[in-house]
Amino acid sequence: MYDIAIVGTGPAGISAAITAKIRNKSIILFGSRTLSDKMRKAHLIENYPGFYHVTGEQLADSLSRHLEQMGIEITEKRVGAVYTFDDRFSLSAGQDIIDAKTVIIAGGIVNGRPIKGEEEFLGRGVSYCATCDGFLYKGKKVAVVGASEDAPAEAEFLSEICSEVLYFPAGEKLPKEAANIKVIKEKPAEIKGSMKADTLITDSGEYKTDCIFVLRDAVSPGTLVPGIELDGPHIKVNLQMETNLPGLFACGDIAGTPYQYIKAAGQGNTAALSAVRYLGKKQ
Amino acid sequence: MVKVIRRNEFEDVKKAGVAVVDFSATWCNPCRMLAPVMEELSDEYAGAVEFYNCDVDENGDLASEYGITSIPAIIIFKEGKATAKTVGFQPKANMKSFIDANK
Repeated sequence: MYDIAIVGTGPAGISAAITAKIRNKSIILFGSRTLSDKMRKAHLIENYPGFYHVTGEQLADSLSRHLEQMGIEITEKRVGAVYTFDDRFSLSAGQDIIDAKTVIIAGGIVNGRPIKGEEEFLGRGVSYCATCDGFLYKGKKVAVVGASEDAPAEAEFLSEICSEVLYFPAGEKLPKEAANIKVIKEKPAEIKGSMKADTLITDSGEYKTDCIFVLRDAVSPGTLVPGIELDGPHIKVNLQMETNLPGLFACGDIAGTPYQYIKAAGQGNTAALSAVRYLGKKQ
Repeated sequence: MVKVIRRNEFEDVKKAGVAVVDFSATWCNPCRMLAPVMEELSDEYAGAVEFYNCDVDENGDLASEYGITSIPAIIIFKEGKATAKTVGFQPKANMKSFIDANK
């Protein structure tokens, strides 16, 4: 069991990991070795003290070196859900379950608007998780909106269970060719149905299915942490970065505006210190 | 204790004053996470509320009768009638509030 699990490798997550490591806690940092694509694409950052006129790429490389020098490793797994128990948290990452005494959520904000009808039908013919709900559609026809890195693999998984998989790619990567996977290069526009969703409408067609799997890289905070209290699209936090769930903290863009690198780094530091204090009180 | 429903056998649920039925499956991660929470709650509510687990693979008829499209789905039955439903894992305190508000 880790002392602190940190989700996200933007400035908030990295800063939290650095402070937690300095305070000698056992940590696991989930994210990507390239850190944050959003940060890497930033043209110029003018307000990060000590790094005047730095590009996102340069700042990301500096942060990477900082982690390396401190011996902090990045676990390249996508955390799909954080489950809250009385005495611990369990993070589900792919097929693995990892336990931690405290959690810091620094996963950034979800980009891209939901498809019309998507949220209305979630849990009623719309699913965000192929490995969770796939077996409910054994022998049936499903659609996959593939907007995440592992969407092609998840579509392949579904093709082993379902009779037919209609795959709507949002990126370049496609699932391996299979007799029952049909790639349709159209843009999903709306999800329709009555009691449950049964139709996916695109810019040029209409498809009847039993379930529509919408697979994105980032899930909304409410889906990521069942039971978390939100403030609009953000996780509700106080100045100590505490959420409504004791032992779970949030920082960076996911904790609200302004979306600034230096604010994210500062909040990450606060979140880590709050987690350290929480651990001290529990002992 | 959480009782297991087999072969679509739902008579006990219908007879119970208040019953909480957890529709789930062995292959579903959130369901596996929720199971110990329901087990603890069943002890806390012992004598007042009956708790059941209904595997949707084993009890396909019940799953379609109660319109289960996503799991875990938790349905509260009062005198045999489904009165409230919630979907997905929830921390114990939240699940407790859901049960208290609907029992």
